[in-house]
Amino acid sequence: MRARDLAVPFPTIRLGAPVLAAARLLAGHNLPGLIVVDERGCPVTVLPGTQVLRLVIPTYCREDPTLARMIDEPSADLFLRGAEGRTVADLLPPGRPEPPVVEPEATVLEIAAVMAQKRSPLVAVADRGGPMTGGITLDGLLDRMLGTA
Amino acid sequence: MTGIAWAAVAVFTVAYVLIATEKIHRVAAALGGAAVMFLIGATDAEAAFFSAESGIDWNVIFLLVGMMLIVAVLKRTGAFEYVAVWASKRARGRPFRVMVLLVLITAVASAALDNVTTVLLIAPVTFLVCERLGVPAVPFLIAEAMASNIGGTSTLVGDPPNIIIASRGGLTYNDFLVHLAPFVALLLLVFLGLCRVLFRSAFRYDPDRAAQIAALREGDAIRDRRLLVLGLAVLGAVTAAFVLHTTLHLEPAVVAMLGGLLLLALSRLDAGEISRDVEWPTLVFFAGLFIMVGSLVNTGVVEQISRAAIDATADRLQPATMVLLWGSAALSAIVDNIPYVATMSPVVADLVHAQGGTGQSRVLWWALALGADLGGNATAVGASANVVILGLAERAGQRISFWQFTRYGLVVTLVTVGLAVPYLWLRYFALA
Repeated sequence: MRARDLAVPFPTIRLGAPVLAAARLLAGHNLPGLIVVDERGCPVTVLPGTQVLRLVIPTYCREDPTLARMIDEPSADLFLRGAEGRTVADLLPPGRPEPPVVEPEATVLEIAAVMAQKRSPLVAVADRGGPMTGGITLDGLLDRMLGTA
Repeated sequence: MTGIAWAAVAVFTVAYVLIATEKIHRVAAALGGAAVMFLIGATDAEAAFFSAESGIDWNVIFLLVGMMLIVAVLKRTGAFEYVAVWASKRARGRPFRVMVLLVLITAVASAALDNVTTVLLIAPVTFLVCERLGVPAVPFLIAEAMASNIGGTSTLVGDPPNIIIASRGGLTYNDFLVHLAPFVALLLLVFLGLCRVLFRSAFRYDPDRAAQIAALREGDAIRDRRLLVLGLAVLGAVTAAFVLHTTLHLEPAVVAMLGGLLLLALSRLDAGEISRDVEWPTLVFFAGLFIMVGSLVNTGVVEQISRAAIDATADRLQPATMVLLWGSAALSAIVDNIPYVATMSPVVADLVHAQGGTGQSRVLWWALALGADLGGNATAVGASANVVILGLAERAGQRISFWQFTRYGLVVTLVTVGLAVPYLWLRYFALA
C-alpha cells in the first residue's frame, strides 16, 4: 500500500488566514491538526491542534497555569477573543520545523516513520516541491493497517 | 609574570568576551575556559576541587542548590499569585497603586529568594492584572525587574553576587541585613517616586476595568494548603537560621541544603520533577567561573593586580570605595554581574586584608555589592532578571527593546548608585 492509496482530500490553511478560522476548521472537521500551505499550495508546516490551542490562550496562562484558575467564568469563556487579529503565521514558532511530507510512492512504513520522527499526527502527500495532493492522519493510517476502517 | 600567567590571562579574557558577547552559551564559555586552564597547567584537580582560595566555592554552589529546591517547591503553592492578585485588589485597580504593591512584593520576595525566580513568578500575574486594567504591561515589567535587583541587594541570598561576596568576604546574613537592608529600604522609596515620574503615562484609571480586577478569585490559586504552610514554615526556619548564624554556627550553605532537602522530603512531591527545576546550567557556569578565577589566583595574576590596587589605594580608602562603587556599577551594566563579582572578589579580599581586614575596611565589600547589584539595572543585559523580563515580554507580544529598558535603567542606576555615595561616606567615614 502506498501513500497515494491512503491520501484523502485534506483541508489546508494558508499562512495569512486568521487564527479563529484555523480553530473553526479544526473543530468543524474534527481534525488532529492542520496542514499549512503557501500560495502555491505547497505544504509549509503542520500545525497540531494543541499548538493552536496553546497559542490562542493568554500567554500568562501558559507561563503560569495557576492564573487560569483565578479567572472568573464569564471572562474565561471569552479567552478566544485574544486570538482576534492574529494569523496562522503568528502561531508558528520561529525557525519552524520542516513539514512532514511524504511522496505518493511512500510505503506505510515510510509514512509511519515520518509521523514518528516529526511527532506529527498527520502527514501531507506531495511530489517533491510540488503542491499537496492529500493528507494522511494517524487514525487513517492505523485504520488501514489494522483493517478497522 | 610567568608564561603560564600570561596564558591564563589570555584564556580568561577570551572566555570573558565570549560570556559578555554571548557568542556562545555562557556555560560552554565558562566550562571551556576552565578546561583550557587545566590543559595549560594553570590549575589542577587539587586546586580546582579542594582549595578554599583557588577552587570551586562549594558554599556558593550548595547555597544556591538549597535555595533553588525551596523555590521549586514554593512556586507550586500558588502563594505568589495569591499575594499579587490580593494586592492588586487592595489597590482598587488604581494602576500606580498596583505598581507600588507589585514592586514591593517583588523587592521583598527577591530579598528572600533569587531574582530570576521572583520575576518569573510575578511577570505572568502582571500580564493578567494589566490586561484587566487595560494598561500596558511593559512599564510594570521594567519596574519589577529593577525592584528585584534593588530588593535582592539587601540580603546575602537575594542576589548571586551577594552570595559570592559573603563567601569570599566571610560576611554573615546579619552583616547584609545591618549594612545594606536599611539603605535598600530607602532606595525602594526613592525608586517608587521615580516610577511615578518615569512611567506616568501608563497610569490610566478606568473604573470599569478596575472592576474586572475585583472579579479575580485569588483564593483559587492555593490548591494545597499543607504544601503552602510547609513551604512558608521551612523558608521562615531557613531565614531564622541564617540570622542565628552566630548562635547555631551553621554555614548558610548547610542551612539552605538542609531546608531544601527537608522541604523536598516533607512535600511528597516527585523529587525528579523538583530537581529538574534546579538551574543546573547556572551551577555549572559558577563552577567554570570559579575554576577560571582560581587559575588567575594560582598563577599569581590576582596577586599582581591586588598589589597594584593596594599601592594605588594605600591610605586612600575613601576614594578607593567610591571608585569601586562606580566602577562596579559601570562594569555590571555592561557584563553580567556574576562573573564580574567572581573575578573582583579575590582582589577586594586582598584590599580589605591590606586595610586591616575588619571594621572600616569592609566598606569595600559593601561598595562592591552595591555597585554590582544596582549597576545591573542600568541596561537590559546588566542582570539576569532583566534578560528574563525581556524574554517574557517578547513571548507575550509586548516587546521591550534594549534601549527602551536602558533609558529607564540608566536614570534609576544613576540615582540609586548616586545615593550610595553619601550613604557609604556618612556611615563608614564621616560618622564612623
